Amino acid sequence: MRLVIGGYGQGKLEFVLGGLDVSEYGVWDGELPGDGKWSGFPVVNHFHRWVRGRLMDGGCPEAEIRAFLDRCEDCVIICDEIGSGIVPGDGFEREYRERTGRILIELAARAERVERVICGIGQRIK
Amino acid sequence: MMVLVIGGSGSGKSDFAEGEACLLGGEHGGQKYYVAAMRVFDEEGRQKVGRHQRMRAGKGFVTVEQFTDVGRAAEGMGEEPAAVLLECMSNLVANEMFDGTAAGNGWKRAEEAAGKIVRDVEALRGRAAHLVVVSSNVFEDGIVYEESVTEYVRALGQVNRVLASMADKVVEVVAGIPVTVKESGEDGRGGMGCRKKRAAWK
Repeated sequence: MRLVIGGYGQGKLEFVLGGLDVSEYGVWDGELPGDGKWSGFPVVNHFHRWVRGRLMDGGCPEAEIRAFLDRCEDCVIICDEIGSGIVPGDGFEREYRERTGRILIELAARAERVERVICGIGQRIK
Repeated sequence: MMVLVIGGSGSGKSDFAEGEACLLGGEHGGQKYYVAAMRVFDEEGRQKVGRHQRMRAGKGFVTVEQFTDVGRAAEGMGEEPAAVLLECMSNLVANEMFDGTAAGNGWKRAEEAAGKIVRDVEALRGRAAHLVVVSSNVFEDGIVYEESVTEYVRALGQVNRVLASMADKVVEVVAGIPVTVKESGEDGRGGMGCRKKRAAWK
């Protein structure tokens, strides 16, 4: 698994697709490919939106992404960095930021490579 | 040696900073201190503190709670502490700015608060063989807040900049990965396989 992070609007998806060395891929926007639903190499874009959605639905994104990666280790996950602001007054927003951050730590530890994109340019940090 | 560690919420900055303090303090052999600046107001705060306490357990830190005037935290420390870990600047700046002593609008100006905090950190640094300071990145959400919050962000930005210039090493923690921003005598990003070109993925 390859993890690509960065701020909003930094060109993360373009960075990934521009360098992708596979003939067939599918981009999943704010969702994970379900069982048997995909063919080709999965690129999960806006991963933070998926986390947010799962939290809103009372799911457990930590366990769900672990289970997904156990089935599909070969993929790209693209996620906004959302933790670098003033701590929100709203409890759900605080939990969303904190848990997204912790999930990213786990994904980064598991990833073969981690890149951080700024101005469309990727810096490999792992 | 002074190290400044920054990162956003849930970035893993505390974990990394503890590791740095243990590494630096371990060489020295003396006592390690953890200066906690976070005031607990509610259950969520208690849980946060509890999580940090569990993380530190068994690592040999003596905890000193100091919500303002962190220079005074050194008073109760022994001869020369091996390492002091101060966490977190985001709490300390809020505690100092909104401590109720400011006249008028009720908060101190960024310059006043930042200047005082820097002097306090200098006092701490003067006492310890090694100082690790944890601070937060609150600068990138693009939201325009009310005046007191904007002033707070400005104060924290000033504190971070001055502490970074004092520090021998500045590290930003991203998704648990330390990215070196500055190493002794060196400025600018580097060190961690910084890439300027697109890398092909295989």
